[in-house]
Amino acid sequence: MKQLIPLSLITLVLLSGCVQEVKPWEKETLAKETMEPAGGNTLARKFQEHIYFSKEASKGGGGVAGGGCGCN
Amino acid sequence: MQLRLSLPTIALIMAANAQAEDYVTFQYMQYQENDNRVSVSAPSLMINKDFGTDYTLNASFVLDAVSGASPTYYDAGSGASAYSRGKNISADRITYDNISFSEQRAAGSVIFTSRFANRDELILGGDFSKEHDFTSVSGSAEYMHWITPAKNQSLSLGLSFQSNEITARCVDRVNCDASSGASEKMSATAINTQLSFLQNINRSSYLKASLFYLIDDGYLTDPYLNVVRNNDGNTADVVGEKRPDKRQAYGAVLHYANALNDAFTLQLDYRYYLDDWEINSHTIDSDLYYDLSPQWQFKLGLRGYIQSAASFYNGGANFFTDERYASSDYRLSDFNAVTYKSDIRYAFNRDFSMNLGLNYYDQSTGLKATYLMTGFRYNF
Repeated sequence: MKQLIPLSLITLVLLSGCVQEVKPWEKETLAKETMEPAGGNTLARKFQEHIYFSKEASKGGGGVAGGGCGCN
Repeated sequence: MQLRLSLPTIALIMAANAQAEDYVTFQYMQYQENDNRVSVSAPSLMINKDFGTDYTLNASFVLDAVSGASPTYYDAGSGASAYSRGKNISADRITYDNISFSEQRAAGSVIFTSRFANRDELILGGDFSKEHDFTSVSGSAEYMHWITPAKNQSLSLGLSFQSNEITARCVDRVNCDASSGASEKMSATAINTQLSFLQNINRSSYLKASLFYLIDDGYLTDPYLNVVRNNDGNTADVVGEKRPDKRQAYGAVLHYANALNDAFTLQLDYRYYLDDWEINSHTIDSDLYYDLSPQWQFKLGLRGYIQSAASFYNGGANFFTDERYASSDYRLSDFNAVTYKSDIRYAFNRDFSMNLGLNYYDQSTGLKATYLMTGFRYNF
Protein backbone atom coordinates (compact mmCIF):
# COMPACT_ATOMS: atom_id res chain seq x y z
CA MET A 1 0.00 0.00 0.00
CA LYS A 2 2.77 2.39 0.95
CA GLN A 3 4.41 1.82 -2.43
CA LEU A 4 1.37 3.29 -4.09
CA ILE A 5 1.69 6.70 -2.42
CA PRO A 6 4.17 8.18 -4.96
CA LEU A 7 2.20 6.86 -7.92
CA SER A 8 -0.99 8.22 -6.47
CA LEU A 9 0.58 11.65 -6.03
CA ILE A 10 1.82 11.66 -9.63
CA THR A 11 -1.58 10.67 -10.86
CA LEU A 12 -3.19 13.37 -8.76
CA VAL A 13 -0.96 16.06 -10.23
CA LEU A 14 -1.34 14.90 -13.80
CA LEU A 15 -5.08 14.50 -13.57
CA SER A 16 -5.80 17.64 -11.63
CA GLY A 17 -5.60 19.77 -14.76
CA CYS A 18 -2.87 21.97 -13.31
CA VAL A 19 -0.33 21.13 -16.01
CA GLN A 20 0.11 24.03 -18.42
CA GLU A 21 1.97 24.20 -21.71
CA VAL A 22 5.21 26.13 -21.07
CA LYS A 23 6.76 27.83 -24.11
CA PRO A 24 10.55 27.76 -24.49
CA TRP A 25 10.81 31.52 -23.84
CA GLU A 26 8.81 31.10 -20.61
CA LYS A 27 11.37 28.82 -18.98
CA GLU A 28 13.59 31.42 -17.34
CA THR A 29 12.28 30.58 -13.88
CA LEU A 30 12.54 26.83 -14.47
CA ALA A 31 16.21 27.34 -15.39
CA LYS A 32 17.07 29.12 -12.11
CA GLU A 33 19.77 27.47 -10.02
CA THR A 34 17.44 27.29 -7.04
CA MET A 35 15.20 24.99 -9.09
CA GLU A 36 18.02 22.45 -9.42
CA PRO A 37 18.67 19.84 -6.72
CA ALA A 38 20.81 21.38 -3.93
CA GLY A 39 20.39 24.77 -5.60
CA GLY A 40 22.93 23.84 -8.25
CA ASN A 41 25.66 23.10 -5.70
CA THR A 42 26.49 19.62 -6.98
CA LEU A 43 29.48 19.11 -4.69
CA ALA A 44 27.43 19.93 -1.59
CA ARG A 45 24.81 17.48 -2.80
CA LYS A 46 27.47 14.79 -3.22
CA PHE A 47 28.69 15.38 0.35
CA GLN A 48 25.14 15.07 1.68
CA GLU A 49 24.47 11.87 -0.22
CA HIS A 50 27.80 10.42 0.90
CA ILE A 51 26.94 11.06 4.55
CA TYR A 52 23.51 9.44 4.25
CA PHE A 53 25.01 6.51 2.34
CA SER A 54 27.56 6.05 5.16
CA LYS A 55 25.12 6.28 8.07
CA GLU A 56 21.89 4.77 6.76
CA ALA A 57 21.03 1.44 5.15
CA SER A 58 19.06 2.84 2.20
CA LYS A 59 20.46 4.16 -1.03
CA GLY A 60 19.41 4.91 -4.59
CA GLY A 61 17.08 7.29 -6.33
CA GLY A 62 19.63 10.05 -6.87
CA GLY A 63 20.67 9.03 -10.37
CA VAL A 64 22.96 6.34 -11.68
CA ALA A 65 26.30 8.20 -11.76
CA GLY A 66 28.57 7.97 -8.71
CA GLY A 67 31.23 5.83 -7.04
CA GLY A 68 31.30 3.59 -4.00
CA CYS A 69 33.05 3.73 -0.67
CA GLY A 70 34.03 1.36 2.12
CA CYS A 71 32.41 3.67 4.63
CA ASN A 72 32.93 2.95 8.33
CA MET B 1 34.40 34.36 -22.88
CA GLN B 2 31.26 35.97 -24.28
CA LEU B 3 28.96 34.00 -26.51
CA ARG B 4 26.49 35.71 -28.77
CA LEU B 5 23.38 33.59 -29.03
CA SER B 6 20.41 34.08 -31.31
CA LEU B 7 16.91 34.10 -29.83
CA PRO B 8 16.09 30.63 -31.20
CA THR B 9 19.30 29.29 -29.70
CA ILE B 10 18.49 30.79 -26.32
CA ALA B 11 15.02 29.27 -26.54
CA LEU B 12 16.56 25.93 -27.42
CA ILE B 13 18.87 26.01 -24.41
CA MET B 14 16.21 27.21 -21.98
CA ALA B 15 13.85 24.51 -23.23
CA ALA B 16 15.94 22.04 -21.30
CA ASN B 17 15.38 23.72 -17.91
CA ALA B 18 19.12 24.11 -17.52
CA GLN B 19 21.77 26.77 -17.45
CA ALA B 20 24.74 26.44 -19.77
CA GLU B 21 27.79 27.74 -17.93
CA ASP B 22 31.47 27.08 -17.64
CA TYR B 23 32.54 27.07 -14.03
CA VAL B 24 34.96 25.80 -11.47
CA THR B 25 33.78 25.22 -7.93
CA PHE B 26 35.60 24.28 -4.75
CA GLN B 27 33.96 22.96 -1.60
CA TYR B 28 35.46 22.04 1.74
CA MET B 29 33.54 19.93 4.22
CA GLN B 30 34.35 19.43 7.88
CA TYR B 31 32.27 16.67 9.49
CA GLN B 32 32.31 15.84 13.20
CA GLU B 33 30.32 13.24 15.12
CA ASN B 34 29.55 13.39 18.83
CA ASP B 35 31.51 11.37 21.43
CA ASN B 36 34.71 11.84 19.40
CA ARG B 37 33.52 9.37 16.81
CA VAL B 38 34.16 9.94 13.11
CA SER B 39 35.77 13.17 11.92
CA VAL B 40 36.14 13.94 8.21
CA SER B 41 37.95 16.71 6.36
CA ALA B 42 37.12 16.70 2.67
CA PRO B 43 38.23 19.24 0.06
CA SER B 44 36.72 18.79 -3.41
CA LEU B 45 36.96 20.43 -6.79
CA MET B 46 34.64 20.40 -9.81
CA ILE B 47 35.06 21.80 -13.30
CA ASN B 48 32.20 22.12 -15.77
CA LYS B 49 32.97 23.03 -19.38
CA ASP B 50 30.58 23.41 -22.30
CA PHE B 51 31.79 22.78 -25.84
CA GLY B 52 29.28 24.72 -27.89
CA THR B 53 25.69 23.88 -27.05
CA ASP B 54 26.00 20.15 -27.78
CA TYR B 55 28.63 18.85 -25.39
CA THR B 56 29.43 19.31 -21.70
CA LEU B 57 32.29 17.85 -19.74
CA ASN B 58 32.10 17.72 -15.94
CA ALA B 59 34.96 16.46 -13.81
CA SER B 60 35.24 16.35 -10.02
CA PHE B 61 37.75 15.17 -7.47
CA VAL B 62 37.54 14.74 -3.69
CA LEU B 63 39.99 13.81 -0.93
CA ASP B 64 38.58 12.48 2.36
CA ALA B 65 40.71 12.31 5.49
CA VAL B 66 38.72 10.21 7.96
CA SER B 67 39.67 9.56 11.56
CA GLY B 68 37.89 8.59 14.74
CA ALA B 69 36.06 5.51 15.88
CA SER B 70 33.13 3.24 15.08
CA PRO B 71 31.35 1.09 17.68
CA THR B 72 31.45 -2.72 17.67
CA TYR B 73 31.85 -5.69 20.03
CA TYR B 74 35.35 -6.90 20.86
CA ASP B 75 37.29 -8.93 23.40
CA ALA B 76 38.55 -6.28 25.82
CA GLY B 77 41.01 -8.77 27.22
CA SER B 78 43.03 -8.74 24.02
CA GLY B 79 42.93 -5.02 23.31
CA ALA B 80 40.61 -2.43 21.76
CA SER B 81 40.66 -3.59 18.18
CA ALA B 82 38.05 -4.69 15.65
CA TYR B 83 40.17 -7.85 15.35
CA SER B 84 40.05 -8.63 19.05
CA ARG B 85 37.97 -11.70 18.35
CA GLY B 86 37.97 -15.11 19.89
CA LYS B 87 35.96 -18.18 20.82
CA ASN B 88 35.01 -19.35 24.28
CA ILE B 89 36.21 -16.15 25.87
CA SER B 90 34.91 -14.95 29.19
CA ALA B 91 31.59 -13.13 28.71
CA ASP B 92 32.75 -10.48 31.17
CA ARG B 93 35.46 -9.40 28.76
CA ILE B 94 33.08 -8.60 25.89
CA THR B 95 32.78 -4.90 25.36
CA TYR B 96 30.76 -2.75 22.96
CA ASP B 97 32.71 0.41 22.37
CA ASN B 98 34.35 2.62 19.77
CA ILE B 99 37.24 1.17 17.76
CA SER B 100 39.71 3.72 16.44
CA PHE B 101 40.57 3.93 12.78
CA SER B 102 41.86 6.40 10.22
CA GLU B 103 41.91 6.33 6.47
CA GLN B 104 42.11 8.48 3.39
CA ARG B 105 39.94 8.28 0.34
CA ALA B 106 40.57 9.75 -3.09
CA ALA B 107 37.69 9.74 -5.53
CA GLY B 108 37.19 11.16 -9.00
CA SER B 109 34.30 11.42 -11.40
CA VAL B 110 33.94 12.38 -15.07
CA ILE B 111 30.60 12.97 -16.77
CA PHE B 112 30.26 13.68 -20.48
CA THR B 113 26.95 14.93 -21.85
CA SER B 114 26.16 14.86 -25.56
CA ARG B 115 23.05 16.54 -27.00
CA PHE B 116 21.47 15.56 -30.28
CA ALA B 117 19.61 17.66 -32.84
CA ASN B 118 16.31 17.05 -31.05
CA ARG B 119 18.09 17.99 -27.77
CA ASP B 120 17.86 14.47 -26.37
CA GLU B 121 20.87 13.79 -24.14
CA LEU B 122 23.26 10.90 -23.75
CA ILE B 123 25.17 11.13 -20.45
CA LEU B 124 28.20 8.91 -19.95
CA GLY B 125 29.99 8.75 -16.59
CA GLY B 126 32.99 7.13 -14.96
CA ASP B 127 33.95 7.05 -11.27
CA PHE B 128 36.95 5.92 -9.32
CA SER B 129 37.37 5.67 -5.55
CA LYS B 130 40.38 4.39 -3.61
CA GLU B 131 41.00 3.71 0.07
CA HIS B 132 43.70 1.53 1.57
CA ASP B 133 41.25 -1.36 1.93
CA PHE B 134 38.68 -0.53 -0.72
CA THR B 135 38.78 0.24 -4.44
CA SER B 136 35.77 1.05 -6.55
CA VAL B 137 35.46 1.59 -10.32
CA SER B 138 32.17 2.32 -12.01
CA GLY B 139 30.68 3.37 -15.32
CA SER B 140 27.25 4.74 -16.12
CA ALA B 141 25.11 5.64 -19.11
CA GLU B 142 21.86 7.58 -19.18
CA TYR B 143 19.63 8.59 -22.06
CA MET B 144 17.15 11.47 -21.71
CA HIS B 145 14.40 11.80 -24.32
CA TRP B 146 12.10 14.80 -24.71
CA ILE B 147 8.65 13.36 -25.22
CA THR B 148 7.00 16.43 -26.75
CA PRO B 149 8.36 19.12 -29.11
CA ALA B 150 7.70 21.79 -26.47
CA LYS B 151 10.12 19.89 -24.19
CA ASN B 152 7.92 19.95 -21.13
CA GLN B 153 8.05 16.20 -20.58
CA SER B 154 11.07 13.95 -20.59
CA LEU B 155 11.84 10.33 -19.95
CA SER B 156 15.27 9.18 -18.74
CA LEU B 157 16.70 5.71 -18.43
CA GLY B 158 20.01 5.18 -16.68
CA LEU B 159 22.21 2.19 -15.90
CA SER B 160 25.44 1.94 -13.95
CA PHE B 161 27.79 -0.89 -13.09
CA GLN B 162 30.23 -0.71 -10.18
CA SER B 163 33.05 -3.10 -9.35
CA ASN B 164 34.43 -3.04 -5.80
CA GLU B 165 37.47 -4.73 -4.27
CA ILE B 166 37.55 -5.04 -0.49
CA THR B 167 40.48 -6.18 1.66
CA ALA B 168 39.07 -8.47 4.34
CA ARG B 169 41.77 -8.87 6.97
CA CYS B 170 42.96 -12.38 7.79
CA VAL B 171 42.05 -13.12 11.42
CA ASP B 172 41.83 -16.54 13.07
CA ARG B 173 42.12 -18.28 9.71
CA VAL B 174 39.08 -16.37 8.40
CA ASN B 175 39.40 -14.30 5.20
CA CYS B 176 42.88 -15.68 4.60
CA ASP B 177 44.42 -16.53 1.26
CA ALA B 178 44.87 -20.34 1.18
CA SER B 179 48.41 -20.28 -0.16
CA SER B 180 50.02 -17.13 1.24
CA GLY B 181 47.96 -16.65 4.41
CA ALA B 182 47.64 -12.97 3.56
CA SER B 183 44.46 -10.96 3.92
CA GLU B 184 42.04 -11.93 1.21
CA LYS B 185 40.86 -9.64 -1.56
CA MET B 186 37.09 -9.87 -1.78
CA SER B 187 34.93 -8.46 -4.56
CA ALA B 188 31.43 -7.09 -5.00
CA THR B 189 29.47 -5.55 -7.81
CA ALA B 190 26.59 -3.09 -7.80
CA ILE B 191 24.10 -2.46 -10.58
CA ASN B 192 21.88 0.60 -10.47
CA THR B 193 19.03 1.31 -12.86
CA GLN B 194 16.72 4.29 -12.78
CA LEU B 195 13.76 5.37 -14.89
CA SER B 196 12.64 8.99 -14.51
CA PHE B 197 9.78 11.06 -15.84
CA LEU B 198 9.89 14.86 -15.69
CA GLN B 199 6.86 17.09 -16.17
CA ASN B 200 6.94 20.88 -16.25
CA ILE B 201 3.72 21.78 -14.47
CA ASN B 202 3.83 25.47 -15.35
CA ARG B 203 6.44 28.19 -15.90
CA SER B 204 7.54 28.04 -12.25
CA SER B 205 7.26 24.41 -11.14
CA TYR B 206 8.05 20.90 -12.22
CA LEU B 207 7.73 17.36 -10.93
CA LYS B 208 10.15 14.51 -11.47
CA ALA B 209 9.18 10.94 -10.61
CA SER B 210 11.69 8.08 -10.62
CA LEU B 211 11.72 4.35 -10.10
CA PHE B 212 15.00 2.64 -9.25
CA TYR B 213 16.26 -0.92 -8.92
CA LEU B 214 19.57 -1.94 -7.34
CA ILE B 215 21.46 -5.21 -7.13
CA ASP B 216 24.47 -5.62 -4.84
CA ASP B 217 26.30 -8.89 -5.34
CA GLY B 218 29.42 -10.30 -3.67
CA TYR B 219 31.14 -9.51 -0.38
CA LEU B 220 28.72 -7.14 1.40
CA THR B 221 29.95 -7.83 4.94
CA ASP B 222 31.76 -5.08 6.86
CA PRO B 223 35.17 -6.61 7.64
CA TYR B 224 35.59 -4.36 10.71
CA LEU B 225 32.40 -5.25 12.57
CA ASN B 226 31.89 -8.09 15.04
CA VAL B 227 28.97 -9.93 16.62
CA VAL B 228 28.67 -12.01 19.77
CA ARG B 229 27.49 -15.61 19.36
CA ASN B 230 26.75 -18.45 21.79
CA ASN B 231 26.76 -16.28 24.90
CA ASP B 232 25.69 -18.55 27.79
CA GLY B 233 26.56 -16.02 30.44
CA ASN B 234 29.97 -17.53 31.15
CA THR B 235 31.66 -17.76 27.77
CA ALA B 236 30.89 -16.47 24.29
CA ASP B 237 32.32 -16.13 20.80
CA VAL B 238 33.25 -12.75 19.33
CA VAL B 239 33.42 -13.22 15.58
CA GLY B 240 33.15 -11.11 12.45
CA GLU B 241 29.67 -10.22 11.28
CA LYS B 242 28.21 -12.00 8.25
CA ARG B 243 25.77 -10.54 5.73
CA PRO B 244 24.06 -12.14 2.70
CA ASP B 245 26.06 -12.05 -0.51
CA LYS B 246 23.27 -10.41 -2.43
CA ARG B 247 20.89 -7.53 -1.94
CA GLN B 248 18.12 -6.46 -4.27
CA ALA B 249 16.41 -3.15 -3.65
CA TYR B 250 13.89 -1.00 -5.38
CA GLY B 251 12.09 2.23 -4.70
CA ALA B 252 10.49 5.39 -5.95
CA VAL B 253 11.42 9.07 -5.72
CA LEU B 254 9.32 12.17 -6.22
CA HIS B 255 11.06 15.53 -6.66
CA TYR B 256 9.02 18.73 -6.80
CA ALA B 257 10.38 22.26 -7.26
CA ASN B 258 8.30 25.42 -7.18
CA ALA B 259 9.45 29.04 -7.51
CA LEU B 260 6.81 30.50 -5.23
CA ASN B 261 7.69 34.04 -6.34
CA ASP B 262 10.80 35.97 -7.39
CA ALA B 263 12.39 35.48 -3.96
CA PHE B 264 11.32 32.10 -2.63
CA THR B 265 11.84 28.64 -4.14
CA LEU B 266 10.65 25.45 -2.48
CA GLN B 267 12.00 21.96 -3.20
CA LEU B 268 10.38 18.80 -1.84
CA ASP B 269 11.56 15.19 -2.15
CA TYR B 270 10.07 11.92 -1.09
CA ARG B 271 11.78 8.52 -1.41
CA TYR B 272 10.48 5.07 -0.65
CA TYR B 273 13.02 2.23 -0.41
CA LEU B 274 12.58 -1.52 0.03
CA ASP B 275 15.06 -4.40 -0.15
CA ASP B 276 15.19 -8.16 0.39
CA TRP B 277 17.09 -7.72 3.66
CA GLU B 278 13.65 -6.53 4.89
CA ILE B 279 14.83 -2.95 5.21
CA ASN B 280 12.33 -0.38 4.09
CA SER B 281 12.61 3.36 4.55
CA HIS B 282 10.84 6.64 3.96
CA THR B 283 12.72 9.89 3.36
CA ILE B 284 11.17 13.35 3.18
CA ASP B 285 13.44 16.24 2.27
CA SER B 286 12.65 19.93 1.93
CA ASP B 287 14.68 23.02 1.06
CA LEU B 288 13.49 26.61 1.01
CA TYR B 289 15.64 29.15 -0.86
CA TYR B 290 15.34 32.89 -0.29
CA ASP B 291 16.97 35.32 -2.72
CA LEU B 292 17.18 38.43 -0.58
CA SER B 293 19.04 40.38 -3.28
CA PRO B 294 21.23 39.60 -6.30
CA GLN B 295 24.06 39.19 -3.78
CA TRP B 296 22.54 37.32 -0.85
CA GLN B 297 20.83 33.96 -0.90
CA PHE B 298 19.71 31.94 2.13
CA LYS B 299 18.59 28.35 2.42
CA LEU B 300 16.89 26.44 5.21
CA GLY B 301 16.24 22.72 4.92
CA LEU B 302 14.77 19.87 6.90
CA ARG B 303 15.06 16.15 6.17
CA GLY B 304 13.32 13.30 7.94
CA TYR B 305 14.25 9.63 7.58
CA ILE B 306 12.92 6.40 9.05
CA GLN B 307 13.99 2.81 8.36
CA SER B 308 13.16 -0.68 9.58
CA ALA B 309 15.81 -3.20 10.66
CA ALA B 310 17.47 -5.83 8.50
CA SER B 311 16.18 -9.36 9.16
CA PHE B 312 19.61 -10.49 10.43
CA TYR B 313 20.24 -7.50 12.73
CA ASN B 314 20.35 -7.62 16.48
CA GLY B 315 22.27 -5.23 18.70
CA GLY B 316 22.43 -7.49 21.75
CA ALA B 317 25.35 -9.49 23.12
CA ASN B 318 23.33 -12.61 23.90
CA PHE B 319 21.10 -13.09 20.87
CA PHE B 320 22.99 -14.84 18.07
CA THR B 321 23.84 -18.55 18.15
CA ASP B 322 24.40 -20.36 14.83
CA GLU B 323 22.43 -18.14 12.46
CA ARG B 324 23.79 -18.03 8.93
CA TYR B 325 23.74 -14.24 8.87
CA ALA B 326 24.31 -11.92 11.81
CA SER B 327 25.11 -8.23 12.24
CA SER B 328 25.08 -5.77 15.12
CA ASP B 329 25.80 -2.78 12.88
CA TYR B 330 23.56 0.00 14.20
CA ARG B 331 23.10 1.21 10.61
CA LEU B 332 21.03 -1.90 9.95
CA SER B 333 18.78 -1.31 12.98
CA ASP B 334 15.40 0.40 12.99
CA PHE B 335 15.88 4.10 13.62
CA ASN B 336 14.88 7.54 12.48
CA ALA B 337 16.96 10.61 11.74
CA VAL B 338 16.47 14.33 11.24
CA THR B 339 18.80 16.70 9.38
CA TYR B 340 18.62 20.46 9.91
CA LYS B 341 20.23 22.33 7.03
CA SER B 342 21.22 25.96 6.46
CA ASP B 343 23.29 27.75 3.86
CA ILE B 344 24.25 31.31 2.95
CA ARG B 345 25.58 32.35 -0.43
CA TYR B 346 27.05 35.71 -1.32
CA ALA B 347 27.69 36.68 -4.94
CA PHE B 348 30.46 39.25 -5.28
CA ASN B 349 29.51 39.70 -8.92
CA ARG B 350 27.84 37.69 -11.66
CA ASP B 351 30.74 35.25 -11.88
CA PHE B 352 32.08 34.76 -8.38
CA SER B 353 30.21 33.60 -5.29
CA MET B 354 31.00 32.04 -1.94
CA ASN B 355 28.86 29.84 0.29
CA LEU B 356 28.82 28.70 3.88
CA GLY B 357 26.54 25.94 5.11
CA LEU B 358 25.97 24.46 8.55
CA ASN B 359 24.09 21.19 9.05
CA TYR B 360 23.12 19.04 12.01
CA TYR B 361 22.27 15.33 11.77
CA ASP B 362 20.45 13.66 14.66
CA GLN B 363 19.87 9.89 14.59
CA SER B 364 17.76 8.06 17.17
CA THR B 365 20.59 5.54 17.68
CA GLY B 366 22.47 8.29 19.55
CA LEU B 367 24.61 9.35 16.62
CA LYS B 368 24.75 13.10 16.15
CA ALA B 369 26.88 14.95 13.63
CA THR B 370 27.61 18.54 12.75
CA TYR B 371 29.05 19.37 9.38
CA LEU B 372 30.09 22.57 7.74
CA MET B 373 30.45 23.14 4.03
CA THR B 374 32.10 26.18 2.52
CA GLY B 375 33.60 27.10 -0.83
CA PHE B 376 33.33 29.21 -3.93
CA ARG B 377 32.15 29.08 -7.50
CA TYR B 378 33.72 30.93 -10.38
CA ASN B 379 32.08 31.17 -13.81
CA PHE B 380 34.58 31.56 -16.63
